[in-house]
Amino acid sequence: MHLRLALSAALGVLIFVAAPAAAYASVGVGVQAAPVQLAGGAHPGGTYALPPVYVVNTGSQAESVAIRIERISRGAGRTVPRSWIRVSGLPPTLEHGQSARIPLSLVVPTDARPGQYFSDVVVTGSAALIAGGAHLGVAAATDLEFRVVPGVVSSAWFAVPSWVLLAVAIVIALTLALMLMTRSGISVRIERMTAGAAAGDGGGGGA
Amino acid sequence: MERKARSLAVCVLVVAASGISGCGISGAAPQNAGQAASVNLSLTTVPTIRSVTVSPAGAAFGNCTGGLASRNTQSTPGKLGFPNGQCFVGLPSPGFYPITITNTGIASQIYVNGTSASPSDGGDQWSLCTEHGDGGPTCSRDDGRMPGTNQYMIQNFSAAGQQTAGISETPTCDREFFASGQCWAVQGASQSEGIELIGPQFSTDTSTKWTMTITWTPVPGHP
Repeated sequence: MHLRLALSAALGVLIFVAAPAAAYASVGVGVQAAPVQLAGGAHPGGTYALPPVYVVNTGSQAESVAIRIERISRGAGRTVPRSWIRVSGLPPTLEHGQSARIPLSLVVPTDARPGQYFSDVVVTGSAALIAGGAHLGVAAATDLEFRVVPGVVSSAWFAVPSWVLLAVAIVIALTLALMLMTRSGISVRIERMTAGAAAGDGGGGGA
Repeated sequence: MERKARSLAVCVLVVAASGISGCGISGAAPQNAGQAASVNLSLTTVPTIRSVTVSPAGAAFGNCTGGLASRNTQSTPGKLGFPNGQCFVGLPSPGFYPITITNTGIASQIYVNGTSASPSDGGDQWSLCTEHGDGGPTCSRDDGRMPGTNQYMIQNFSAAGQQTAGISETPTCDREFFASGQCWAVQGASQSEGIELIGPQFSTDTSTKWTMTITWTPVPGHP
């Protein structure tokens, strides 16, 4: 009799403890292991497209996904300020097994200090909130690395290749020179002389 | 002298000719000249995703104890009492660990962190404190071992023991995850854990429903 009561009580406690936990499915999230890196250096004042970061829902239900920049793992360099990274095209939810590539952009302020920068791209996944309970969340982190090099970028047009700028400058200079010459009345005559005639002229001059 | 030079020239010619023929260059064009041929190859690589799964996605606290009966603020099994009542997800003794954390991606370090507790009326939060103030505020009672007003503490436990210093708001190595005290986890490694919550001494918000989040994160690193 006592044994039966004890067993019933133990079973009751187990059900009480286990039932709330068993009522929910799993939550999971994944991110690319390869670090998010900027090819080449970033200039203060510049805006750069970072490689899109791969995100996947590894849980058993739909999840809301968010991305934040936080330094968690160990690495060398200055911590990336959160305001430097812009996230766009983030889907509000990801279904079970669904993945997405989230575009990131780096906006370097004009007063940024040159050097190596390091932080983590942290992707968090969470199911619906449960009032009055512990909400168990998941996240996954991958490294974010780039280098800021000296040289202020004033605006986007400056990002065109230097040879294009040089060509445009030469064309403008030639046009200006032509206009000045036309207005001042100076004329340049180009003549072609044969070698024999030039020699004859020279010989005549010397006689 | 002249004979030597002639001999040298002949040698150079012979060597050059043999080199050219060795490279497969000849005067006659190959029969299949101009026809490209290709072979399709396929390669499979191992996945390079860093991911974690936690089951269940949420849990309710139970087995609450503590509080003061003389003030009618003693805990009931499903409700936290004041001051400094305690509630559990799972039980440290006898061992019952209902939360399973599984590293489903590449080998990583598993970090854990918590958040402030939010009341259902949107009022004053309880800040998550730890014994030593690592990654957040220090608990203000009993030399850091007990939360003060509007503070609360979370300790996770497993068969490996209990982290009495508490989980902080900053992600830190989940030492429960690996028996040696490290948090390195290879693909497929899992850990079953429970959670103990120690409530505040007092709460200035009168809500009776509170929500908090505990998050596990695989992080790049080395064992």
